[in-house]
Amino acid sequence: MFYSIWLQIRVIAALTLRETRMTFGTSHSGYFWAVFQPIFSVSFLMTLFYLIGRQSPFGTSLALFFATAVLTLELYNKLSVSLMRAFTTNKSLLSYPMIKEPDTLFARLSLIACTFIVINVIFYSGLLVVGLGQLPAHPERLIYAFLTTCLLGFGVGSINAILYQKNQAWQHIEKIFARPLFFLSGVFYIPSTMPPEAIAVLKWNPLLHVVEWTREGFYSNYRSDVLNIAYPLGLGAALVIIAMFAERITRKQRV
Amino acid sequence: MIAFENVTKIYNVKGVKKVILDDASYRFADKKNVALMGHNGAGKSTMMRMVAGIELPTSGRVRRTEKVSWPMGFARGFNGLMTGVENVRFVSRVYGCHTESVLEQVQEFAELGKSLALPIQTYSSGMKARLAFGLSLAISFECYLIDEITAVGDRRFKKKSEQALKDKIKNARVVMISHSEKTIKDYCDCGVFAYGSKLYHYDDVNELLKDYRKFC
Repeated sequence: MFYSIWLQIRVIAALTLRETRMTFGTSHSGYFWAVFQPIFSVSFLMTLFYLIGRQSPFGTSLALFFATAVLTLELYNKLSVSLMRAFTTNKSLLSYPMIKEPDTLFARLSLIACTFIVINVIFYSGLLVVGLGQLPAHPERLIYAFLTTCLLGFGVGSINAILYQKNQAWQHIEKIFARPLFFLSGVFYIPSTMPPEAIAVLKWNPLLHVVEWTREGFYSNYRSDVLNIAYPLGLGAALVIIAMFAERITRKQRV
Repeated sequence: MIAFENVTKIYNVKGVKKVILDDASYRFADKKNVALMGHNGAGKSTMMRMVAGIELPTSGRVRRTEKVSWPMGFARGFNGLMTGVENVRFVSRVYGCHTESVLEQVQEFAELGKSLALPIQTYSSGMKARLAFGLSLAISFECYLIDEITAVGDRRFKKKSEQALKDKIKNARVVMISHSEKTIKDYCDCGVFAYGSKLYHYDDVNELLKDYRKFC
């Protein structure tokens, strides 16, 4: 029992190092781009909105309000898309009997989660330095929201991986669902101020809940009427359980 | 211990059903060098991949308590974009070996010199085979799987690798597929014959070879 847990950890650690190497390439600038590419793209978007003179829907910093949503969405998107190809690109690894397919998912999860911790720290400290940020009021809520986003991304990404390997057309169908998330997750607005008809629809988006959770973590006086912690957590856990069962059941058809 | 328990393996390719094993149970004698024989297409390599854990049976289970190698000379597990060194490090990490000492042994054995620092996709197939062979020797498996290939590379390297494998299996055992009676006699203590989706055990290699001549 103890040995098999140790084996599992060893395998996932080795895979994570390998994933790091595959994602970032050999050069050290690879790491730089992996961290700064999302930072630059979010900054660019924010600059645009500053230039057209948008006011922040909450607090004084438009940048901070944006970041709480956009960085959360980026983490989710990265997980759901990159896990989708975990099985197909890692097929050769299955020649080592101790490596099972879920290990490749866990490896990608740990790499992406670590990268996004770095991205978040750099970004929010950067905002603080240029005077557009603030220290989080409830840091623990930020951490919970981050972990819940990982759970959701991992669940959806794992299911994507299984479906994608069954039929590669899944990548196009997945996009149809993923695209509108940017508009449905409260990037530009405070969900609680939306009309009740809109809230009735929006509240089904689990990412909206984690965005709200993140905001409650940052602002001391942000109260969300929409946020229900149990929903994203329960959904995330359910998705992960379904994905792991589905993986185990379909494993024989895949190898 | 390596054992098949009620293993059934069926391939279904484009509507053609092929039964490799039908509810076969077989225990590979412990610490013995086992020959695996059968006619072409009997599914010997598939069985070997099931022993290695690369392939799963359709039903039943394969039990494996010893550290089993991948089929020797098999280089499919390498990643072409990573360098030789990185691939070696990865595999030894996965097997829980001391990374640097494995690397040292591979460097010395495979004689790839500076190429080891280049991505595997730049290697010739011979170079890849040398690396894979060196790596499986360095990892010290308890059971080596040999699918026809007992040596790789050019003439000189073939001699060297054959000798290295022979040294290695003094402290390990082999499960071997071969159609060469001489190789089987050289390496194996006992054998198993795959025939009609079933497995038959032979304590004596000569008996196995006799039946092999009769049926194949």
